[in-house]
Formats: sequence, C-alpha cells, structure tokens
Amino acid sequence: MAETQYAIEMLNITKKFPGIIANDNITLQLKKGEIHALLGENGAGKSTLMSVLFGLYQPEEGVIKKDGQVVSIKDPNDANDLGIGMVHQHFKLVECFTVLDNIIMGVEPTKHGFLQKKEARQKVLALSEKYGLQVDPDALIEDITVGMQQRTEILKMLYRDNEILIFDEPTAVLTPQEIEELMQIMKNLAAEGKSILFISHKLAEIMAVADRCSVLRKGKYIGTVETKNTTMEELSAMMVGRNVNFHVEKKPAAPGDVILDVKGMTVASKVHKNNAVKNVSLQVRRGEIVCIAGIDGNGQTEFVYGLTGLEPLVSGSIELCGQDITHASIRKRSTSGMSHIPEDRHKHGLVLDYTLEDNMVLQRYFEPEFTSKAGFLKRGPIRAYAEKLIDQYDVRSGQGPVTIARSMSGGNQQKAIVAREIDKDPELLVAVQPTRGLDVGAIEYIHKQLVAQRDAGKAVLLVSLELDEVMDVPDRILVMYEGEIVGELDPKKTTQEELGLYMAGAKRDEVSP
Amino acid sequence: MKKNIFKNPAVQAFIASLICIVLGLLIGYIVLLFINPSGAGEAIVAVVKNFLNSSRSNLRLKNFGNTLVKTAPLLMCSLSVLFAYKVGLFNIGAAGQFVVGSCACLISSLGWGWSWLPCLLFTILVGAAYGAIVGLLKSYCNVNEVISGIMLNWIGLYTTNMILNTVKEPTSPYTLHMATEAPQAILPSLGLGELFSGNKYVTIAIPLAVILAVVIMVLLDKTKLGYELKATGNNKNAAKYAGMAEKRNIILTLAIAGALAALGGAFLYQTDYEQWSVTQSSVPGMGFNGIAAAFLGGLHPVGAIFSSYFIQHITNGGAYVDLTKYSSQISDLISSLIIYLCGFVLFIKYAMNKSIAKREEKQAQKAKLASDTEKGGDGK
Amino acid sequence: MTLLLQYTLIFASVLMLVALGGCFAEHSGVINLGLEGIMVIGALGGALVMRYMPADTSALVMVLTVMLGAICFGVIYASLLGVACINFKADQTIVGTALNMLGTAGATVLVKAINTAANPNDVSSVIQYVGAKKNFLVNIGGFEFNWFMLIAVIALVIAYVVLYKTKFGLRLMACGEHPQAADSVGINVYKMRWCGVLISGVYGGLGGITYILAGVSEWKFENGVAGFGFLALAVMIFGQWKPTRIALAALLFGLFRALSNVYMGFDFLYSLNIPSTVYNMMPYIVSLVVLAFTSKSSRAPKAEGIPYDKGQR
Repeated sequence: MAETQYAIEMLNITKKFPGIIANDNITLQLKKGEIHALLGENGAGKSTLMSVLFGLYQPEEGVIKKDGQVVSIKDPNDANDLGIGMVHQHFKLVECFTVLDNIIMGVEPTKHGFLQKKEARQKVLALSEKYGLQVDPDALIEDITVGMQQRTEILKMLYRDNEILIFDEPTAVLTPQEIEELMQIMKNLAAEGKSILFISHKLAEIMAVADRCSVLRKGKYIGTVETKNTTMEELSAMMVGRNVNFHVEKKPAAPGDVILDVKGMTVASKVHKNNAVKNVSLQVRRGEIVCIAGIDGNGQTEFVYGLTGLEPLVSGSIELCGQDITHASIRKRSTSGMSHIPEDRHKHGLVLDYTLEDNMVLQRYFEPEFTSKAGFLKRGPIRAYAEKLIDQYDVRSGQGPVTIARSMSGGNQQKAIVAREIDKDPELLVAVQPTRGLDVGAIEYIHKQLVAQRDAGKAVLLVSLELDEVMDVPDRILVMYEGEIVGELDPKKTTQEELGLYMAGAKRDEVSP
Repeated sequence: MKKNIFKNPAVQAFIASLICIVLGLLIGYIVLLFINPSGAGEAIVAVVKNFLNSSRSNLRLKNFGNTLVKTAPLLMCSLSVLFAYKVGLFNIGAAGQFVVGSCACLISSLGWGWSWLPCLLFTILVGAAYGAIVGLLKSYCNVNEVISGIMLNWIGLYTTNMILNTVKEPTSPYTLHMATEAPQAILPSLGLGELFSGNKYVTIAIPLAVILAVVIMVLLDKTKLGYELKATGNNKNAAKYAGMAEKRNIILTLAIAGALAALGGAFLYQTDYEQWSVTQSSVPGMGFNGIAAAFLGGLHPVGAIFSSYFIQHITNGGAYVDLTKYSSQISDLISSLIIYLCGFVLFIKYAMNKSIAKREEKQAQKAKLASDTEKGGDGK
Repeated sequence: MTLLLQYTLIFASVLMLVALGGCFAEHSGVINLGLEGIMVIGALGGALVMRYMPADTSALVMVLTVMLGAICFGVIYASLLGVACINFKADQTIVGTALNMLGTAGATVLVKAINTAANPNDVSSVIQYVGAKKNFLVNIGGFEFNWFMLIAVIALVIAYVVLYKTKFGLRLMACGEHPQAADSVGINVYKMRWCGVLISGVYGGLGGITYILAGVSEWKFENGVAGFGFLALAVMIFGQWKPTRIALAALLFGLFRALSNVYMGFDFLYSLNIPSTVYNMMPYIVSLVVLAFTSKSSRAPKAEGIPYDKGQR
C-alpha cells in the first residue's frame, strides 16, 4: 500500500432522496495537515455530505477512503473509531453538565464502572495547554460563554485523539475576537498534524484560514481551488453560479416624519442577570430603512421583543406615530400600524399545522372582514384574501390556500409571512433577519419588497446579521454591541472593515438618536 | 389521478381506531384464554353484545337505554379531554372535574332542594371554576396541567366525600335517592324514556350531550375563538406573536373543559341511575375513560360520540360475562388495552401513509415504464 | 408517637422508592405517568409470591422472593411503557394513563380469576398474606421495623451512586437533557431510555409491594394503590429530580400521610375534630401549593416527554 497524502477521501459520492439528488457525484479529498474549506449555500448538499461521512446516510454510489484504504462507515461510532470528529453548528453539549463531563461523555475513564474524573481532568488540562484552548473544567456549560463552549467542543474531539476535525459553520455565533482566536486555534491544530475540514459560506474567513477550498452548488461538485490562487469574487461565482449583483437597486431615501421614537429602552435578559438591552434610543422616519447591525446575541432579539411587546420593558418609552405604546398589548401595537417579520418563522411566524390561508390571516382574523359579529369565521373572504396574497406575492405551495404550512419550503413560508405583514399596510415594518436561510433568488425578492415599502412612504426597521445585507439595503445603520447602540453609519460612506470594528466593540461613538 | 380515500385523515383516524379496537379485543381474548380457556370466546362475545344478550326485546331496549344513560356522562368527559387537547393541554383533571360536578349537583339538589335547571347551572359554574384552577396554575405558576390535574382529582374526591356525607342515607354509604328525596332535580325525560320501554333513567341528558358535542365541533372549527385556541395549542409562541391572549385562553379552555366534565357528573347523578358512595377511596374511572374515548374517537367531537358509546357499550357488556369464570372487570381490561393501543395511533397512521406512498411510487414507475415502452424506446 | 414514626417511615419508604423510579425514567427522558399502575402490578407480583410460597419458608428467603416477584412484575409491566414510548414514539401521557387503568383492571381480573378458581363462591379481588407478612417485620420495643425501610435506604444510596458516580448515570442523564448530544458521542439513546424505564419498573414494583405491606395484611386489588403513584410523582418534582432531595420530600409527604392514619392517637389533633379525609387530602394540597411556588424554576430534564427520533437532527 503506497503512502497517500490524503487523510480522508470521499470519492464520487451520490446520495438521493425521493425527488431530489442531494449529492450528485461529489468528490472531496482532505490532505493530512491541511485546512480545507467546504463552501456552498444553504441546500448545496454540505450537510448531506457530512451525514454520509458520519454514517447517518448510506450513499447510493461512491466510496470513502481513510489513509488510502476503503472504509465502511455505518454509524457515527464508526466515524469516531476512524478518528473523525465534528464541532456542530449547534453545539451538542449538555447544559447542566460541567465542561469536563461533556468532554469525557461517551469515552469515560472508569474503574469498576465508577467514573475516574481525576485522570480525565489532567488530560483535559494538558490538551488545553498544548493547543491554547482555555476552559474551566468544572464550570457548567450554561454558565460559560459561547466561545468557551466551542473550545469545549474542540477539546471533545482532541480528547478522543481525533485526527480529522470538522468545523460546521463555527463562526456564526462568535464575536470577531473569538473568530480571530478560533482561526489561530485551527492553524495551531493543523500545525500539529490534524487535518481540518472547515464548512462555511463566509468567503473572507475561508480566504484567511483555509489552504484549499472545495465548492458545492445545488448538490453538485463544482471544483477545488487553492485559496492562494483565487479571489473572493471567483469563489463567490463558483458558489452561486453567476456573478451576484450584491447591490440592491434603489433611489436615494427621502425621509419624512418620525414614525417610531424609542427612548431609553432597557430590556432584561432571559439568559443572564444583566440587561440585554441598555438604554437604547432611536428613531425611524417615514421613507427610510434603518438597519440594526451587530453580531448575534448583542441584544437585537431582545430589542425587537421589547419593541413588539413580546417582552416587557424594564424602562424607557416607545412612540408609534406619536402615540405612546410603551405598555400597549401586542395586538394594540399591531393594529396601531406595526408589522413584524419575526426572526424565527417556525417559532413565531407561522402556526405550522394550520393551512396557508389560516396563516395568512394570523394578524387580521379578528377584523370584521374575516369574523362575523357572532364570532364565526368568514371562510369565503379568508379564502379570497389568501388567494389574492398568494397570487400577488408569488407564494408557491402544493395545494394553494389549503396547503399545510409545515409542508412548504422555507423560502415560500418566509414569502407568506412577508406578504401577510406587508399587506397589513403598516406604518412601521420591523423585519428581523428576513432572509435567513433563503436562497439568492428569494433574498433578492425580499430586499426589493423592503425597498418598495420604503418608497411607499413606510418606515422600515431591519435587523440583520449579514454584512452584505447591512451594507446594501438600509439608508442608515445603527450598530448594536452588548445591548447598546455604539455607532450610526452611512452605508454609502462606510466600509465593511469599519462596520466590523463597531460590531466588535473596538470602536464606538456617542450616538444621539 | 384518482384520489386515494385512505389518504383522507378522517378515514385514517377511523381505520386506526378500528385497529385499536380489534387488537384490544384480541389481546383481551388471549388474556381470557389464559385465565379459563373454556369460555373465552363466549365471554368476549357477551361483552361485545351487551344488551343484545337479553332475550326479551323490551328488556333489550331497556338495557340499551341504560347503556345510553351512562354514555352521556362519558361523552361529556371525553369532550372535556379532547377540547383541552386541541389547545395543547392534557386534561387528566377531567376525572376530578367530573367528581366535583357530581358533588355540586347532588348537594344542590338533595341538600338545598333546587330544581334541575339551577342544579345544572350550578354544576357548570363549579366545574368551570375547578377547571380554571388548573388553568391559573398553568399560566401563572407554570405548573404542568397533568400534575396539578392529578392532585386536584384526589382533592376533589376527598372534598366530595366530606360534603356529600351530609346527604347520605343513614344506614349505607350511599347518597339519598334523588327520585324520592328530590324528584324536582331529576332531569326531564320529555317522553324519551318511553322509547326505551319505559326506562325512567333516559332523560334529556343524552340528546344534550350529543348537541354539546356538535357545539364543541362548531366552536373549534368555525369560530374565532376556536381559531385562537387551536393556534395556541399548535404554537403558543406564534399565538402570542399574533396578539392572542395566551394566558386567558389557557384558563378559558380549562374552565370550559371543567364545565363539560362536571356536566357529565350532573348527567349521571341527576337521573338517579346511581348514587354516590361517600366511602369510595379511588377517583371514579369516568374521567379516565373519557381520555380513552377522546383518543379512540380520533380527537374529533363526532368521533367521540361513537367512541364514548362503544366504550360504555363494552363496559356494560362486562355484566353479561359468566361470573363463575371471569369477573366483570374484563371490560375495564379491554377498554384500558384499547387506550394503551391508542398510543400507537400516530405510528399506525405513519405506517399507512408510508405504504400508500410506496404503492404510489410503484404505480408511477409502472406508468412511466409503460409510457416509455409505448414511445418505442426512443430514449435508448 | 412511635406509631406515627413507624407509619411516616414506611410511607416515606414507599414514596421514596417510587419517586426514585420516576426519577430514573425522567432522567433518561421518559415521563413515567404509569407509576401508579406499575405499583399495582409490582404489588400483585409480591402478593402472589406470598400467596403461593409455603408458610414455613424462612424469613430471608421469603423477603428475597417477594422482592424478586415484585421487581419482575414491575419490570415486565414497565416494558409496556418502553415499547410504546421509546420504540413507537407514542404520547407518554396517554400511555402512562392507560397503564394506570390497565394495572388496576388487569390485577383485579387476575386475582378474581385466581380466587374463583380456588373457590367458586369467592368473587373478591383480595389476596391475604397474614402469615407471610410477619417475615417482613421486626418488633423493636413497640416500633414495628419493616425490612423495606432498610431496602428503601439502600435503594436511595444506589440511586445516588449510580446517577452521580458512574458512567451509566452520566450517560443516562445526558439522554434526558440533550439526546442529540448523547447520540453524537456514540451513546445509544434508545438503550439508555430503556434502562431508565426498566429501572423505574424495579423501583416502582418494590414501592408497590412495600405499600401493601405497610399496614394491612390483605389487599383488595380493585382499589389500586389509592394515588400513591401520583403522590410519588409530586415527591419527585418537589425533590427536583435529585435523590437526596427526593428522600427529604418523601419524609415530609410520608408524615402527612401517616397523620391521617394515626391522628386519633394524639389528643391534641383528635380534639380539633377534623375529619380524616382532611388528612387524606393534605399531601395533595401541600404538593399543589409547593408546586405552585416552585414550578417557575423547575429543573426538569430538558428533553423529557419528547420521543427521540434518530433521523431528526
């Protein structure tokens, strides 16, 4: 057997599901000691490919080789035995266990069935020293930062002496400093001879840390390039299949009267004892799109909850069109002209087991148009209204208005919500990550709708985590960091770098609302 | 393409319930075989035949009436359970709500001499209040409704025993006969009893229960309130987001559920068919059977009418088994087996859908193959 | 006073055993609402052993076989919960409720059949064990010590050690908190949940036989176990799913239950002239009030009640 330079090879993998080919003849070769990026949009087939690698799916065609030899992987334990480990995008940590318990779980050192935590602790401490992964072994997961949770996940792999480390979208939840740290850790690990597969759709990170990059698009293998011989533009074109027009076409804004006036809003946190939103004041005017930018978890969610009435305020006041709605109910805010495209369409946006038509009237079912005086629903007008929206906003579904919302694709579910919220004809549209998890076509569509609302003289408050969206869609950017507004930027004048500094808390201005 | 009737959810629910019943009877039969192989078949037949076991036709009719008399309270309990379940709440407290309902109607009639309508209204009020306790605990103190419901079942039982101690017969643990002591509180029969060869226990309770089932169906399917309640049950976050008053809805739901189950108590005791024993030390099974009926009926009010009748039918049928070989509790055994099997309904439906999908795929392939060959294989 | 202590301890033993059983099932991620039924069936197993063992069996053999009988019946019965809830992903509340009904109905049918077979005129659901019961009791100066009190303490120690000191316990609790995480490190979630459910069968069965041996010397199976399984659930929640706190909660609830049996022995309580039903109600009222105040900060296993589906990630 000749010595091979590859740690793991997935050759000509094909995996079909009813009606869709999730992986179509995909080849991925990971060299020993390299950092290899796997790039692709949502639905490109990255997670299917990883599930095949971990034995969760058996491919119809193709083989997997470890060190040049064909291996069969039937379940995650086989993958584990081959030294393959993964840091999942959503951490697989037991919140009420300690860091140490989480690391040793599944490979616990025991004597007569009793846990021997002492030696485990020493091994963990040695590993954390060696790779610069600082953790407190005795802290509970629920008490530590996301960054430390991620280091715990990495230690979990190292504790098992895994040689092949897979990172699934590891930077999504981190602050820029933590991302910087993670990059360094990945480089250290590679230098120590570990082979790393880095799954991402963030081009800058791939350029910064990866040696090579394989690109998938719609289940197909597009190619593998050396990062030092390529550019972000080239990678991006490979990923989406055409040069994406990152710019949203729009006329200059013509702001009018103040629609939303928030003064000194403070909202308590559900996770920790501090306030999640601290004394935030801002205004949104008619005919402008204001974007709240920031890394995930800096209080944006709580701000929106406070604004829309899902959570009570600790202090502060909210005025909508000159009317005080600080203590108004959710319903009152809605009928006073506030529409809300929620962050999580499954948690808040839809009743998944209701039909599309019933979801379309979720914010208006009680209006005389849809409910008789005696309290009966008017089925006819509801159907007609749903059909109108479906037609107008091109919401596609299997059975039209009677389709169960659960069975619709994510993009069409989101379109349905956008249609419902915009058609309410609000004065203020609050759109929270409206394009999360959608494909390029749907994103463009939703951006156009937001701009159209602005041009129709509405106030739009956009909350986004995506830098491209933050730079292109709004007329004003407010950066939120640790629950405070730390800067106001003009998207036409600022750069992504400057925005990044604000988002990371490295730069801040005193902002007047 | 022809629409497959097995894809219809109502048909699926019906088939699933049927499978549960058949399997339940089958397992019951096997248990009987173990106990005494000689009469197992007869015993099962006796249970299933119920009043048809009677030889004389007027007795048959009378016993049919008796089955219906006990179906009405069971239907009320099952409506209580399914109504709450639609809103995402498991009302195991129906048993206790049935008990306090019994208490309310018995004390107001026997103790205070009220006539039937005020007694019914009082029962509704008490039941609603008792159900609302569970709702209040759930929405303001985050107490799981199953746990608080169970606790309240026992509290209700002991309280009822204590209160009804004042209206019991001096020599027995049973409450006084309503027919003699408080005839004004007996529900009117409106001549219904004559239809069942003079069964004096047959009253308006039976049609009222059916009407209430229809009312519940309309409430759930056609009204704004039903839309809100079901939305809360399916996704309470979305319901909150849409401005629905979640806490109010939970309390309201459990109050309605409580009133329904309590009415069940009135529908039983205001016919004087049974008397309450103040020494009973376990919660009457009516509420728990209501859970069985609700699930067996596919959690649909109309389904509940039939499943309630069926469960009561076999429960009454238990009286006809050969008591030298088996006990009458074999019907309890069978109905509890059926509710256990109801737990598998989801799986049965899943299996049905899967086999339909498989068959359709095969047919589609066949059709494709056929059209390919028709084209004369121009593809290859 | 000794009588009160005696009843408190024996009822606390029952509640502790059953609550610990529930605790194992819930830590593995399965809500065991069928504890009441498991107790009945466990009691049936033990009672049958006592009925059929020769009267001259030595005390040790008797105690051990009765325990074994209760455990076997409890485990077999609990496996009905396991099949439905783990393998077929049935709704755990429905199945638990069904098991409670089935337990009483099944035991009644069976005991009646046995009694009728022995004597055609006997249609009762009663099993007597006057003779066998003596083997479980040791009289220490007026205090009737029941071996099950010791067994309950041993069971408590075992539960504590298994949950917190062994790899089995670590894995079990991981399955109740975050089954996906457990699965990702190669722990078989289905297997662990089965273990949790079966252990709850062991504990529940033992609790059942302890309960019917607590005071009386015959048991009418039509009566079930009078809500003790549910009370044990309240003990478990009050004990916040932690063995040591469950033990304390069991003592408290046991005291209230014991008071209803012996309050007439206390002149002070007797003079209050409160009906015995009030004492019967007390444990339920107390647990309801306690739950109302503690449920906001409940530390229930996060994934309990949710069937685990390997395909869903």
